[in-house]
Amino acid sequence: MSRHKFFYVIALALIVALSCPLSVFAQEKVIKIGALYPMTGRAGLYGLDSVDAAEMAIEEINSKGGVNGYKLELTNTDSKAKPDYSVMVAKRYITQDKMHFLFGVVSSAVGLAVTEVSKQYKKIFIGTDHASTQLTTDKFQPYYFRVSNNTFQSMAAGALYLKELQQVKPWQTIAYIGPDYAYGHDQWEELRYNLDRFGVKYKAVGEYWPKLFAPDYTPFITSIINDKPDILVSGFWGGDTVAFIKQAQPYGLFKKTLYFHPDAGGNYELMSAMGTELPEGLVLSARHHNNWPDTALNKEYVEKFFKRTGRYPTYAAEGAYAGIYAIAEAVKKVGNPDDTEALVKALEGLKIQLPEDPEGFTSYIDPATHQVVQVQAIGVTKPNDKYPPAKMMLGDWKIYKAEDLLPPKDYADRQKKK
Amino acid sequence: MNQSSGAREIILLGLFLLVFGSVPFIKQSDYHLMLANHVLIWGMFAVAFNMLFGVTGMLSFGQALYYGLGAYSVGLVVKNYGSAMFLPALGLGLVLTIVISILVGLLVIRLSGVYFTVLTLAFGQLAWQITFRWYRFTGGDDGIQGIMPSGLLENHTVYYYFTLALVVVSIWFLWRVANSPMGLVLRCIRQNPERVRFLGRRVRRNQLRIYVISSFFAALAGGLMAGVTNSIHPDMFYWTSSGEVILMAVLGGIGQFFGPFIGATVIIVIQDVVGARTEYWSLIIGIIMMIMVLGMPKGLVGEIRGLMARYAAGKVNRG
Amino acid sequence: MDFSFIVMQFLSGLMMATLLFLVASGLTLIFGVGNVFNFAHGSFYMIGAYLAYQTVSVWHTNFWLSVLVASLGAGVLGMLAEALFLRRIYGRADEGGFQILLTYSFILVIDDLVKLIWGTEYKSLARPSGFTGTVELFGLSIPAYNLAIIGIGIVVVIVAWFVLARTRSGRIARAAALDREMLGSLGINVPFTMTLVFGIATAMGGFAGALAAPLRSVSPGAGIEVIIDSLIVVVIGGMGNFWGAWLGALILGEVNSFAVATVPDWASLFNYLVMVLTLIFKPEGLFASRKIRRV
Repeated sequence: MSRHKFFYVIALALIVALSCPLSVFAQEKVIKIGALYPMTGRAGLYGLDSVDAAEMAIEEINSKGGVNGYKLELTNTDSKAKPDYSVMVAKRYITQDKMHFLFGVVSSAVGLAVTEVSKQYKKIFIGTDHASTQLTTDKFQPYYFRVSNNTFQSMAAGALYLKELQQVKPWQTIAYIGPDYAYGHDQWEELRYNLDRFGVKYKAVGEYWPKLFAPDYTPFITSIINDKPDILVSGFWGGDTVAFIKQAQPYGLFKKTLYFHPDAGGNYELMSAMGTELPEGLVLSARHHNNWPDTALNKEYVEKFFKRTGRYPTYAAEGAYAGIYAIAEAVKKVGNPDDTEALVKALEGLKIQLPEDPEGFTSYIDPATHQVVQVQAIGVTKPNDKYPPAKMMLGDWKIYKAEDLLPPKDYADRQKKK
Repeated sequence: MNQSSGAREIILLGLFLLVFGSVPFIKQSDYHLMLANHVLIWGMFAVAFNMLFGVTGMLSFGQALYYGLGAYSVGLVVKNYGSAMFLPALGLGLVLTIVISILVGLLVIRLSGVYFTVLTLAFGQLAWQITFRWYRFTGGDDGIQGIMPSGLLENHTVYYYFTLALVVVSIWFLWRVANSPMGLVLRCIRQNPERVRFLGRRVRRNQLRIYVISSFFAALAGGLMAGVTNSIHPDMFYWTSSGEVILMAVLGGIGQFFGPFIGATVIIVIQDVVGARTEYWSLIIGIIMMIMVLGMPKGLVGEIRGLMARYAAGKVNRG
Repeated sequence: MDFSFIVMQFLSGLMMATLLFLVASGLTLIFGVGNVFNFAHGSFYMIGAYLAYQTVSVWHTNFWLSVLVASLGAGVLGMLAEALFLRRIYGRADEGGFQILLTYSFILVIDDLVKLIWGTEYKSLARPSGFTGTVELFGLSIPAYNLAIIGIGIVVVIVAWFVLARTRSGRIARAAALDREMLGSLGINVPFTMTLVFGIATAMGGFAGALAAPLRSVSPGAGIEVIIDSLIVVVIGGMGNFWGAWLGALILGEVNSFAVATVPDWASLFNYLVMVLTLIFKPEGLFASRKIRRV
């Protein structure tokens, strides 16, 4: 039996691979957007919500005739939250499928890998839901834009909240718990930086780093209780927040300590998962809230999403929704989706009215960092069953002005030096 | 794995070079080049892994340790000293791998069967956790981006041929090992280690040797991959990377020298094609794996060969 | 570190250990008896958690009934998986590699099926009534449900030991681990025994998933997150040994608990360190149930 026959298999497999271009050959003029959202695992919900919201925005725009005669079209590939696989898909989007925009990404690690491809091929990458500040500071590149807040902005708002709180209810000690990876570490570092920047006096009494997706927090909880902090800052996301709160609640942690979770704590998934189990009086925030601001645009967005999917959106959805509108606005200004350099110019400083903008404010993209500048609202959990299955929603809002939350000019240099 | 005549090997080599050498000419886009690059690198990784598993019977679940080590050596050196250091960094990774694989190898080869498997897994996971956790040095979960090879290699096509050349040389080397007296001893170890020991062959020494050789090429794969994706991530150390290479080997056929290479090709193509078309890729890949494991115990290559042999035999018998 | 804190931290470690043990016990059973390494054990744990959610939150029944439903559901699925798929690869050359691949394919399939049935949203389950409060113990307040879990863990280890060591079925199971052929010639239906043992093992996974559900978030991918830790427990304790698994879990739980309290920065490394050290100095685990074939 000759072995070389098996090389036909390689050849065949390669031919199959090479002759499988994925692009849809549409006759009409199309703005092609290549998205990379995870659809499986822990972040799957964010991916699903993002794709639904993006599709919703696209239908809204296309039903009004599209942009300058162009229809929008979204293709999503499950990124599996794996950077190396995502790089491969991003290359396919750009060189094979001739996409005009790269879009999406939940994990910051995937975001950092994809922004590199965007830089190499000079294709615009619209970031909708990854939080790492690096992307718009020290890893900044001209073809990257982010339409949701980063952790720095959340932490700046958090620091301002704590500063105000200190004047009403003098607190002194603070402890931190967050997942043991970049996202968790960045938040704590940025919070302390901002507390110092705003001149808040405090004493850190404990730092805890459970691994991401850890199932058990009991030893952390009892150790935190022993530290007796006035404030416990949390940097979890998703299911980890749920598990931590469920395990800590019977120990009475939330009676002794103020639970403060300014980046992803106020995400709707927490309210929807926990129902009545969610304790009252936790201080949380997120990048978008279903019940704030009380504007027509936000109400309409939330209702439409609910009608479409049968569930209320997590904040990831609004990022994707915003991203599609940003693309549409930019193409409208330029007239076509092919002139990348002109699109970059159009996106810089772009003003865009979003569901999360309160009355009298319009989000805009900072031309210097390509980071969207938005208002941040921090709230406290209170009984509210208007968004089932949630039984608790945020209320007693404190609003922080967008401009106060930006990193100072020297921040990027400071980061680079480290 | 039968001994082959020289002529057949040359035909094989020629076909291989023809298929992979022509990719830059027939590709439609950079993406195809990248896909072919992935096939080459994973193919080599899988063939090297199979020297351990298929040939010697040592199922390592921790080869990701060396894959990651090769990639991170390149990534860290290039990040800190610039892309001119790309090739020296690749070499550094290989040297480090030899040292570390000897040290780890001395510990793991004391065990056999599933205990060997689990201990290799433990070392791989330990390396992953350290890379993940040692934020300041490795960049942690963010990984390292912007790893560009320098000079001529910066060109994607040149880099592709560079990979092709290294892969061909590596596979040729592994082929020679598999068909050397040492290869014979390794196959005997797989079947009956006690007897090998009675025959005066040193089982442990040969096991260590093949462990180091296999790890060496895993590291080469990692280093080359860093230049293809330009960004690396601690996931490369994670057990799923080790799992993937096992899957490739079994799918292609662990009893065949080139089986794992075919397995790698098929897996990469399937992942890409299925992944691009449905979010339920894990269901589909799971079912394909199930069918393969249950219906094709000898792997793709082994089964096809078996079919052909039966066909040929049938022709002879029935006249 | 005052004394009451040490006690508190010890109890936290015990709690963590018990949950680890409950998941790992099924894994060690099927390994010890069936010589099968079930990589998908975590997926049966996840199925248990989802079945508990379904029974309590959707069908509104009693929590303890849901634990039963979850165990039975995971058990039946496990038996099906064994009878339809796993059985076909027993005795094949390189069975170990194929076991890993086949059970890995179970993980992939089960993950997507769970997503198809229950979606990607996080689910949550309340603690059962009567166990929502705390119990005062040595001047410390401990959540009642945590104490219940610790108690259940101890009962499981004793019952498992008793069944395996003192009953006829236990003796058959242990014999199956040593020599399946011999057992067959003694008139025991070996394939059925294997299916049953596999079912019991996955039922234990489902049981653990249901008990842990009120403490964790029920979400896709939960299976893969528990399997590596369970594997570490089983390996430290000696594969196939119940007391070993319990001790292994206890070591991991307590090491973690006190690492968190003393060196929180590096706490996440300890699991792997403990495992590597154990394997280097006592490769067969702390309680090896039989001699390892060494080469």
